[in-house]
Amino acid sequence: MNCASFVQTEGLTKVYSSGKIQLCALKDVNLTLAEGKFLGVTGPSGSGKSTLVNLLGGLDTPSSGRIKVQGRDICELNKEELAIYRRYQVGMIFQSFNLIPSYTALENVAFPLLFAGVAKRERNQRAAEMLTRVGLYPRKDHRPAELSGGEQQRAAIARALVNQPKILLADEPTGNLDSITAKEIVKTLADLNRNQGVTIIMISHEELLLQEFAHEVIRLRDGEIVDREKLR
Amino acid sequence: MRMSDYIEQSFSNLARRKLRTFLTTFGVVIGIGALVSMFAFGQGVQKNMTDKFKELELFNCVNVFPPTMQEQSQPKTKEEPQQAPVLDDDLIQRITKIEGVESAFAEIRFPAMVRLREKERFSLVQVLPANVCRSGLSKLLVAGEPYASDDANCLIISDSLLHGMKIKDAKTVIGEQVELSTLRFDPNLFSPAAIASVMRGDEIPFSRESYTFTIVGVAERMGFGGSMPVRSDVFIPPGPSEKMKKISLTSIWDFFSAAAGPGQAKGYSMVTVKLSSAKYVQPVKQQVEDWGFNTFALIDELKEIKRAFIFMDMFLFAVAMIAITVASLGIINTMVMSILERYKEIGIMKAVGAGDRDVKKIFFFESGVIGFLGGIFGLALGWAVGVVINQVANYFLAKQGVPYVDYFSFPWWLCLGAVAFSIVVSLAAGIYPTLRAARVDPVVALRHD
Repeated sequence: MNCASFVQTEGLTKVYSSGKIQLCALKDVNLTLAEGKFLGVTGPSGSGKSTLVNLLGGLDTPSSGRIKVQGRDICELNKEELAIYRRYQVGMIFQSFNLIPSYTALENVAFPLLFAGVAKRERNQRAAEMLTRVGLYPRKDHRPAELSGGEQQRAAIARALVNQPKILLADEPTGNLDSITAKEIVKTLADLNRNQGVTIIMISHEELLLQEFAHEVIRLRDGEIVDREKLR
Repeated sequence: MRMSDYIEQSFSNLARRKLRTFLTTFGVVIGIGALVSMFAFGQGVQKNMTDKFKELELFNCVNVFPPTMQEQSQPKTKEEPQQAPVLDDDLIQRITKIEGVESAFAEIRFPAMVRLREKERFSLVQVLPANVCRSGLSKLLVAGEPYASDDANCLIISDSLLHGMKIKDAKTVIGEQVELSTLRFDPNLFSPAAIASVMRGDEIPFSRESYTFTIVGVAERMGFGGSMPVRSDVFIPPGPSEKMKKISLTSIWDFFSAAAGPGQAKGYSMVTVKLSSAKYVQPVKQQVEDWGFNTFALIDELKEIKRAFIFMDMFLFAVAMIAITVASLGIINTMVMSILERYKEIGIMKAVGAGDRDVKKIFFFESGVIGFLGGIFGLALGWAVGVVINQVANYFLAKQGVPYVDYFSFPWWLCLGAVAFSIVVSLAAGIYPTLRAARVDPVVALRHD
């Protein structure tokens, strides 16, 4: 496998149809990302950032084009194979954290291991390790409502990484956080990228944070890449 | 995902919405409870009847009747006109000699007024030979013993009749004198004067004769002394019966032939043949029919009885199915509501690696758990309903002297079947919500709120 094309898209296009109206969310996007990189994606609302992340995360399928992850075309996978891809290959975090409100932090982090068929004791053990890594272990028995925004996002990061995926997709993870907490979260992601070699693709409106931590930033407008900037 | 995780998830997810889960499950409990109690009732009635028939050896009986009037008027061979066969003592002797026959006796029942301790009750009296009384009725005696000979001036009375007379302790009546007053159809009373008095309600065209007997035994329940499931409350030996003036009630024909007066050979209207085993029923029937008589065996009717029970079961099942259908709609409603509420959660499941199959199974298990709980508690409810109805019914029937009868039967297959059926119905009700859950688009579900 070519390390330079750890994640690669070719002519990636996504068109949403609603009756007679067709909306092109993503137009012929070609992207190549090497393993262990931190890619920032920015652009105005409706530019196709989230669509790109959803396609890379295997939550959605493209209208045309290819997505190759570690050399494997994920567009050819069936629904169950895509689920396995989401389970082991990628982790996702979201602006609204998307934690299950009735679960404790520990249960939320252990949740993906349930679908991997891991025994309960091991699930809890691995979830506890992940919470320790993001500095949230003391809050493991708290429910999302009892956690601050930053703590919730850290729990979400722990959940995204509990299955040890190679890629972390972050859809505006700092959108609901104050600037200090936002920086802490991005720093946590950058540490994971640097120390554990997790490839990160992060959507953010905050250019400064991207400038500070990302290796490369792409700008989207109307579904097309309008600018690429290599930072380091 | 592991099986244990599916089960744990289902219980914890259902526990999150306790009231709704309780109400939905309660719907299933009522449905299954209705099904179980109705089936148990059907089974109970069936078991009671067949067990009682077996206990009373009714399946080992053949009834013999004389040929009908029509048959008598059409002799089989024209050359040799036959004398119409008569059911008499000679025939009883002949029948007794057939292989497998334990005893044969004329079926004689007549109405009589029973007078004991200054109380009177109208009852059916049955004539039962001493040997039949010893072999058949003795099992049912709660006090005393069967009468020793056919000529003893003794009788056996049923506990039900004693209850009717407000006599609680059966043992106390043993050895007491009881008076039987029979009615005799009296043609002399058909004079215009007598008819006028009947019209005025002063008198009936029957004469009344009284006979005194000693009680030797008390039968546990309403006795089926013969092969017909007709209730008799008093049993007397044939000896004293012959001396009594009475109208027999075995057939309406006796009512009129009684007026024919003595000296006219009329035979019995029915003879009961008791066999040592049900396997002799067919050969004995054949033999007796060859002699020109008609026969009836209850065992031949068993198929018909069973068919009637199937119809009854089907009817009860249909009633219970209405409750089950309503419960199923409840499950569908609950599951669809649950999916709408957990729309985002399903999106999260999919985002963290759950396949459509996992999502389906999670919701399928939840339906199954509702069904399982509904089945278990429904079974308990059905059983409880059975116990309560049994107690109440028996409480009131006991006052009338009817012994304890279990109207509900809970065979193992009904218990297991009810729980299994509940789970299957719930799973079927869960199919649509489950498919709907699996179809949830994670992108839509996870879109910012």
